[in-house]
Amino acid sequence: MDDAIENTIRQEQAESFGRLMAGFSHDMKNHLGIIRESNGLLSDIIEMSGLDENVLPLERLKKTISSIEQRVVIAAEMLHHLSAVAHRSDKPLSSFQVNDIITEEHTFLKRFSRLQQIKVSLELGEGLPSIYNDPSLLLHVFYRMYILSLEQLSPGQELMIITRQKEKMVEIIFRLPDSFHPAPEVFSNNTIGAAVNKLQGALQIGDDSQAQADISLTIPSLEGVLED
Amino acid sequence: MKGKLLIIDDEVEFASTLSERLRIRGIDVTDAYSGTEGLAKLEEVVPDVVVLDLKMPDMDGVDVLVKIKQFDPAIEVLMLTGHGSGAAGKAAMEKGAFDYIMKPVDLKELLQKLNAAYEKRCNS
Repeated sequence: MDDAIENTIRQEQAESFGRLMAGFSHDMKNHLGIIRESNGLLSDIIEMSGLDENVLPLERLKKTISSIEQRVVIAAEMLHHLSAVAHRSDKPLSSFQVNDIITEEHTFLKRFSRLQQIKVSLELGEGLPSIYNDPSLLLHVFYRMYILSLEQLSPGQELMIITRQKEKMVEIIFRLPDSFHPAPEVFSNNTIGAAVNKLQGALQIGDDSQAQADISLTIPSLEGVLED
Repeated sequence: MKGKLLIIDDEVEFASTLSERLRIRGIDVTDAYSGTEGLAKLEEVVPDVVVLDLKMPDMDGVDVLVKIKQFDPAIEVLMLTGHGSGAAGKAAMEKGAFDYIMKPVDLKELLQKLNAAYEKRCNS
């Protein structure tokens, strides 16, 4: 791979990571905003009631306390996923579960689909083999394909992301709505193809003969590739 | 602030809790949970000040700001932003927003900015 393409991939990878972090930061601020307002409301209610048990609106207090608890749980889960995503770059190659990468990244990408009013559902296959590959690069490729898929759709439409085993590899399918066929250049007219090649994977854009428009990304285990 | 306030934010729980806290402080608040709903309530409420989220699923906050200003240029708009640098808030001020405030909101700062916005509205 020539240096120019390598540099472009790295640049786009940094950009994907930056956007993921920006989305994460927005979501966290929303959760913290609700926690702060809920906490402030509790304080207001207590101050208004003058700590008199007989006039405390217990139901409202319970609802507010529950809201704080719920948001803390969501924020903690997001931080857990953030930590996992950040550690994906620890080593250039490692063993991982593709489903874990998708679950982690989807936590941050939900915001993008929500803003575009597109429903994204995951259908993650069970018992998939671990893959030995570049998890950080896969995070980037998945991000790009997710965003490009969203850009093809209109509000109210649905994007389904499916994972399944394909021989010794794992296939990630971005399934767009019925009779919706994106132009292949949408997904190949950039450095995604080069990044997929670096993963030694394969990218296939569905054609008109398919019932749904599937964009398939197949990721091999490089240990497997070497052994074979 | 003595006038009417309209809060437009798609985070229902955030907007409704903030409204409740402002009502406790005697402010006449109406909530809307999307850009479209906010614009519809604009004619109904005719607010003095609007607190408007910059990022919403159905409409961009700046587009809503432009429509509010078209409806009545004297309505003051305070933008809510989750952006770290405040660059988006400053950009919205160039489009006519009175000021911006970062999330999570500091209520004391919000009340100060609301009072300043209302004062400007009364003097316009």
